[in-house]
Amino acid sequence: MAAKTLEREPAVRTTFSLSAPRPSWQVGLVFVAFAALSPFLGRALSGPFNGYHALILCFGVTYAMAALPLNLLMGYAGQISLGHAAFLGVGAYASGIIAGRLGLPFVLGLLVAMAAGAVAALVIGLPALRIRGLYLALVTLGFGLAMYSLVFRLRAVTGGYAGIAVPRPKAGTFEFSNNMDLLAMVIVLFGAVWLLDRNLMRTKVGRAFLALREEEDVAAAFGIDVPRYKIYAFVLYGAFAGAAGSVLGHVIGFAQQETFTFDFSLIFVVIVLIGGLRSRSGVALSAFFFGASPRLFGFLHDWVLLVAPALVLFTLVRHPRGLGGAIAEIQHAIRGRRSAKIESDDDEAAGHLALPRPVATDTRDVEKPLVVGDVVVRFGGLVAVDGVSLDVEHNRITGLIGPNGAGKTTLFNAVSGLVQTQQGQIVVNGVDVTKMPAHRRAAAGMGRTFQQIGLVKDLSVTENLLLAQHRLASYDPVSALGFLPQVSRGERRLRERAAETLSVLRFERYADADLGELSHGQQRIVEIAAASLTSPGLLLLDEPSAGMSPAAAEALAERLIQIRDEIGQTIFLIEHHLPLVMATCDRVHVMDSGRLLTTGTPAEIRRNPDVVAAYLGGRAR
Amino acid sequence: MGTILVIGIATGAVYGLFAFGLVLVYKATRVLNFAQAEIGAFAAFLTWTLTNPVHLPWALAAGIALAASGIVGMAFERLVIRPLISASRLTLVVATVSAGLLVGGVELKAWGGNPKILSSPFTFRGPSIAGVVLPPPRLVALIIGIVAAAVAAWFFRRTTFGLALLAAAQDVVGVRLTGIRLRHLSAFTWGVSSVIGGITGIVIALSLGAFAPFFMARLMLLAFAAAVVGGMTSLPGALVGGVAVGVAEATIAHFWISVPGLVETVMFGVIVLVLLVRPSGLLGRAA
Repeated sequence: MAAKTLEREPAVRTTFSLSAPRPSWQVGLVFVAFAALSPFLGRALSGPFNGYHALILCFGVTYAMAALPLNLLMGYAGQISLGHAAFLGVGAYASGIIAGRLGLPFVLGLLVAMAAGAVAALVIGLPALRIRGLYLALVTLGFGLAMYSLVFRLRAVTGGYAGIAVPRPKAGTFEFSNNMDLLAMVIVLFGAVWLLDRNLMRTKVGRAFLALREEEDVAAAFGIDVPRYKIYAFVLYGAFAGAAGSVLGHVIGFAQQETFTFDFSLIFVVIVLIGGLRSRSGVALSAFFFGASPRLFGFLHDWVLLVAPALVLFTLVRHPRGLGGAIAEIQHAIRGRRSAKIESDDDEAAGHLALPRPVATDTRDVEKPLVVGDVVVRFGGLVAVDGVSLDVEHNRITGLIGPNGAGKTTLFNAVSGLVQTQQGQIVVNGVDVTKMPAHRRAAAGMGRTFQQIGLVKDLSVTENLLLAQHRLASYDPVSALGFLPQVSRGERRLRERAAETLSVLRFERYADADLGELSHGQQRIVEIAAASLTSPGLLLLDEPSAGMSPAAAEALAERLIQIRDEIGQTIFLIEHHLPLVMATCDRVHVMDSGRLLTTGTPAEIRRNPDVVAAYLGGRAR
Repeated sequence: MGTILVIGIATGAVYGLFAFGLVLVYKATRVLNFAQAEIGAFAAFLTWTLTNPVHLPWALAAGIALAASGIVGMAFERLVIRPLISASRLTLVVATVSAGLLVGGVELKAWGGNPKILSSPFTFRGPSIAGVVLPPPRLVALIIGIVAAAVAAWFFRRTTFGLALLAAAQDVVGVRLTGIRLRHLSAFTWGVSSVIGGITGIVIALSLGAFAPFFMARLMLLAFAAAVVGGMTSLPGALVGGVAVGVAEATIAHFWISVPGLVETVMFGVIVLVLLVRPSGLLGRAA
């Protein structure tokens, strides 16, 4: 661990930017200007660059617009859709009906397309709350095929095989009949989706998506309402896909069954994968290529289905970050920042553990921040926690020890709401949380860490600290889309607090490093800091010293005592490293086989023959 | 009524057989094999080439095609699934989806998008049950389905290899400790499921008359519905589910022939409903 084999010192960022990123209205302005000028541009350029080329570019940009929502769903939120074509189809047909059949303005068609897409995604997404994992793939597959073979073929609704004509968009008296004008419109709409997507990812909503993709339990421990954010992801996906479908309809001029096939859905999955999950620019670029190139270079058409999936498989196995990863590497190279693996001394790292004062929330100081009464947790026939009653005293460090399989982590999970209790009562900071979902328990002023680091490894340290403050970001998710002033203010406050935390930890230079690049000990310290930041009432630590060197563990012990004395934190910790327990704990609970064996001071525990027997595997007298 | 049942059971046997392959892979490796359909289609195309332009005897052609699909499945397992086995389930879904698309792309490139017609090797007239003449390919699929179920039941209950396969899905380390080579297990299931895909591909191609790349996508939906109804982890459940889906399809075709795509829509609804109400299906055990 201590071996310092730094080939090159990781770039030290002396200035840590305090300001939240600004809403990119400048970019928006460019789009608007482009749109306003496009009719003139179109005529000026019509020499070398004819309408046919413009139409091809329209396809490219539309594909990019269509791929971004799937990237949002798969890349950010970690959910899958194998029925993407159906969502696009819903949008195209909605526009066909509104703008084509009814002759209403195309903007209305666009809005209806978005609404229809959102509703469809909501209906598909709701079961995903109850059904985890693979089943979403099946349900979206079924949705795609059902829409294709029934809805998109109903003569009365969608015009049967012939489909519906989707006319060129009209805005007032201006008709986008020239392909250059159409291209300008498509670019503006694509830009709008890009901006909304970008805004979203700079706020708590985007961070919540990334967290629930990583580990739902961790997300819930930070106070993120997992089902709600899943639904947000689906609704946004559906609305944006609907909009893209509407544009696709206008570009093709038709909404037809044969456009929205099963393999069209799969191609978008391939596009997102080649672009690189989570990489907005990579996905847009790969989609643009898929949309434009077969029409630009006719001979490519046959090869796309052959080369693209092969590329995906190769990417998955060899380069999991895809095109986006390559783009990021180039960016790093241009900025002269190498993503060198940051190595450092764990012992030194732990020495720095001082925690920032937690943000005051409205939790009351109570004598016993945690009271567990007769809690039972069963998994099928196995009783993991069998009627445990214990409490944790205010401003004390309380230990929970016991042999492997004693039920310690299960008890922690029951307290933080990650497993169901069959019986008993749990009171946190004077609030009965027994029936509350996990994310609301976090709001009662309880933070926790996990045996495996409970943070997102491929987010930067700063972003992780922002994620931890999820509950403190009080703006609503809709305003996050527009990155409105209150969002900007809220984000700035979170960033200030994150920066403060980093400076207290003396981790400023890791601010922009991916968490996964830090050493295990450093990650642990960031995790404890993150959990403590928003939880003045009670801090649950699950084996904080796991994976640390003995010296680092010793330093950690000193820091925990410091947290108790200087900040006044209450700490409840599971620990196997007994010297740490002896050094820090004021009181220790011992569990064995799901039961509370005894409680006492560390000295009493050490002398207790039952405890010794439990640890040595002998039989208690 | 009898007609519906006979047609339903005969087509359902094919769905059940296909679902059987899906469940086999899912049981052993917890991966949904979205590639099985196109690997099956590949076998049909290969059979077409070997019987039409090449004029090999039918049995030999089908044998070669099935062996080839098995090899494709095992190669895929070796090159993609094994390196990714500890990746997220999302990644694995994407991997099998891409593999299916890749095989479809190969078919498009090699055989083009125009429909092909596979002539039936069976010269006898199928038996007549309840007034319905059972086409020979369906009869063969029915027999293969029953035989496959029996073999699988014996394999998973009575052989060490089969038991290890089931155990591997639960506890990889445990199986490794027994000295059984996991690699062989995983490759074996992917091979078998791909051959099953091949058999169903050929049968469906024969009964459709004309077929083009991606003709198996619909079958995939119906077979997944069958697997879900059967509980996703139950091999007999897959066969029973397949028959249920077949009978449902025959019923819909009989009464509401004029509504297009009703079968697919109903099956979509069935998947959603079963997953919501009873995720363990008819015969599956709770995970």
